[in-house]
Amino acid sequence: MEYYSYINIFETKGLAYLLLLSFLVLGVLLIKYLAGPERKDPVPGKKNATIRR
Amino acid sequence: MDRRQFFVASATVAAGGIPNLNIKADSAREPKEFVGVLVDTTRCIGCRSCEVACSEAQKNFVPDTKNDNALEKIRDTSEKQYTVVNRFETAKGAVFVKKNCLHCWQPACAAACLVNAMLKTKEGPVTWNGDKCMGCRFCMISCPFDIPKFEYSGWNPRIMKCTMCYERLQEGKKPACVESCPTDTLMFGRKRELMEIARHRVYGHPDKYVHHIYGENEAGGTGWLYLSAVPFEQIGFRTDLGTTPYPEYTREFLISIPLIEFGVPAFLLALNMLTDRKDEVSDEQKWTEAGVDK
Amino acid sequence: MNTAAVPANEVVRFARFFLQELKPRGKWLTPFNVISIPIIAAGLVILYFRFTQGLGSVTNLSQQYPFGFWIGFDVMTGVALAGGAYVICFVVYVLRLEKYHSILKVTILNGLLAYVFYSGALLLDLGRPWHIINPIIGNSFGYNSVLFLVAWHFLLYTGALFLEFAPTIAEWAHWERLRKFLTSLTLGTVIVGITLSMLHQSGIGAMFLMAKPKIHPLWYSEYIPLLYFVSSIFGGLAMVIFEGTISGKVFSNLIGQKTHHSHDDIILGLGKGAAITMFVYYFFLAFIFMHGEKWKLINTSWGYWYLVEVIGFVLIPCFMFAYGVRNKKFGVIRTAAAMTVLGVILNRQNVCLIAYNWYVVDKYYPSWQEIVVTLMVVFVEVWVFRWIVTRMSVFSKE
Repeated sequence: MEYYSYINIFETKGLAYLLLLSFLVLGVLLIKYLAGPERKDPVPGKKNATIRR
Repeated sequence: MDRRQFFVASATVAAGGIPNLNIKADSAREPKEFVGVLVDTTRCIGCRSCEVACSEAQKNFVPDTKNDNALEKIRDTSEKQYTVVNRFETAKGAVFVKKNCLHCWQPACAAACLVNAMLKTKEGPVTWNGDKCMGCRFCMISCPFDIPKFEYSGWNPRIMKCTMCYERLQEGKKPACVESCPTDTLMFGRKRELMEIARHRVYGHPDKYVHHIYGENEAGGTGWLYLSAVPFEQIGFRTDLGTTPYPEYTREFLISIPLIEFGVPAFLLALNMLTDRKDEVSDEQKWTEAGVDK
Repeated sequence: MNTAAVPANEVVRFARFFLQELKPRGKWLTPFNVISIPIIAAGLVILYFRFTQGLGSVTNLSQQYPFGFWIGFDVMTGVALAGGAYVICFVVYVLRLEKYHSILKVTILNGLLAYVFYSGALLLDLGRPWHIINPIIGNSFGYNSVLFLVAWHFLLYTGALFLEFAPTIAEWAHWERLRKFLTSLTLGTVIVGITLSMLHQSGIGAMFLMAKPKIHPLWYSEYIPLLYFVSSIFGGLAMVIFEGTISGKVFSNLIGQKTHHSHDDIILGLGKGAAITMFVYYFFLAFIFMHGEKWKLINTSWGYWYLVEVIGFVLIPCFMFAYGVRNKKFGVIRTAAAMTVLGVILNRQNVCLIAYNWYVVDKYYPSWQEIVVTLMVVFVEVWVFRWIVTRMSVFSKE
């Protein structure tokens, strides 16, 4: 009977942190990807946006 | 008073003081104890007189137990019958099991009901009130034993389930099925007493019964208790329901509602104030306005 | 300013104006009308039988499946996909991103109609709908119920959406003072509305918390309220893109030139939001999957079906959104939006119907009557939507 044996409910906790770290890395990659290719000089139309910080 | 006596005395005071701090347990105690029924499946002969008595008492469909051969297949309770008896072929021969509402200690159906139509009465039976029910059938979703049944035919449907003959209990009588049982399979009483009887039987005849009382802890404990000669999963019981009372599963969510309802609007309002750009000026403007160039 | 304070001739003027506006405009025999009118008529006939002979006469509901297509699709999915209203309100009023202002009114209108019609479809499914006032008027408050929360939040949020949309109605009826008053309420109703949405979107998920032994473990978790809330964000965003695409074509004569032009920019922003939210949602799913040690279940037919939903309708559209946003491929973004909407529908059907009582032999399939009534609800909603947008200034004319 399961009531009489030891159950560790946090057995997967270590794996959870590994998963978190890998998704954080993937998330940074996704956001960099979404931001689009890097531009050297600011686009003329976006000038106002850069001033208003 | 010497040192040792002092320690003993203070420990006694402390021990006496602790239960008084437990406010909740004291106030939650009802003057009446919940009642239930002990079902000893080893005694049942499958005569189905409980089915007949139940339907007669509750004015439901009365089965023709002599001719309908209903034991041939496994049946479920229905919107026509609050209780059914099933026959299971096991290693220890045919076992008959009566199925009906187990009248949980903390019923999921009553926790699910948004109009308190499903109600755990303080005597123990779980009852249904048709003047309140709006027929959403959320009790059917929530019940781990799949007990509430809905009348799909008819413009004014009812939720149908065993009420442990609540009206009869009010009159001081036993439930109809218990009274009709010719073999003492069913025993009506308070759960505290029924548990003692059940344990006594299991301990006294360890070769006759499996060492488990179904309903002692299942789904947080139920009013109906079952004894069996074979493992319970072989006679139609779910043994994977756990011992947590089902309303507990929604507890954290329900408690978090006021926290969210107070915290989130404040947070949103603050965010709205923070993002106000009305008075914002560009770097160059700020320099000139501050009079640096003058 | 209420109606009692308004002079009688104003009431007469409005009544005349309203009757005038009630008349149809444009051609009658459009393809949409030809399809929708017979279905609405058939739906009304089915509803007659439903209310006289019971739910069983027209639906395939059973004791094992108390929630069917009307709940699983109309209510659960309709509400999830109406999530766009609170997300866009958050973006425009709380974050003050003016870029999205031009789609604000139409999104609020879509949300309002979705709540009125889809959560209104609940009335068709209730066995004793005349008792629906019980949890509201207070003779029986079941505070202990998740559904009590959901019911109240539906009601209050529909009211909040109505207040958010009311300035447009006042403008249409030429009630200038009322419009100014209603506009001043907007920020308050928006903040209340977002909070109510958070709670009832997750509350719909919380309704299944007690169905633990019945829902297949791949779909059940104690985090189901969180999953429902997050999926309502990207489901709502995808629906805004999806609806914007359709109404941009159908009502293009109502939309101003400038708005048409800025719509591309809006879609890129929405797509970006959807991609990030879906990525977060996918992480939640992966986390729950791992914490429940559910890999033991994946090599079964249920496991494959789960992967279809999670990979095919969450992860792939997430990447499609990202690809479409980066490369400004609007076709890809729109396809991703359609897939996301399908994915949310699939998820709600899985929890509510398909993976619910997964071990039962007699599975539930919606009857043709249930589908006709669902279509009827959708078509009536589109009719009302069309009536409103052709009369009130919902689309930006700039």
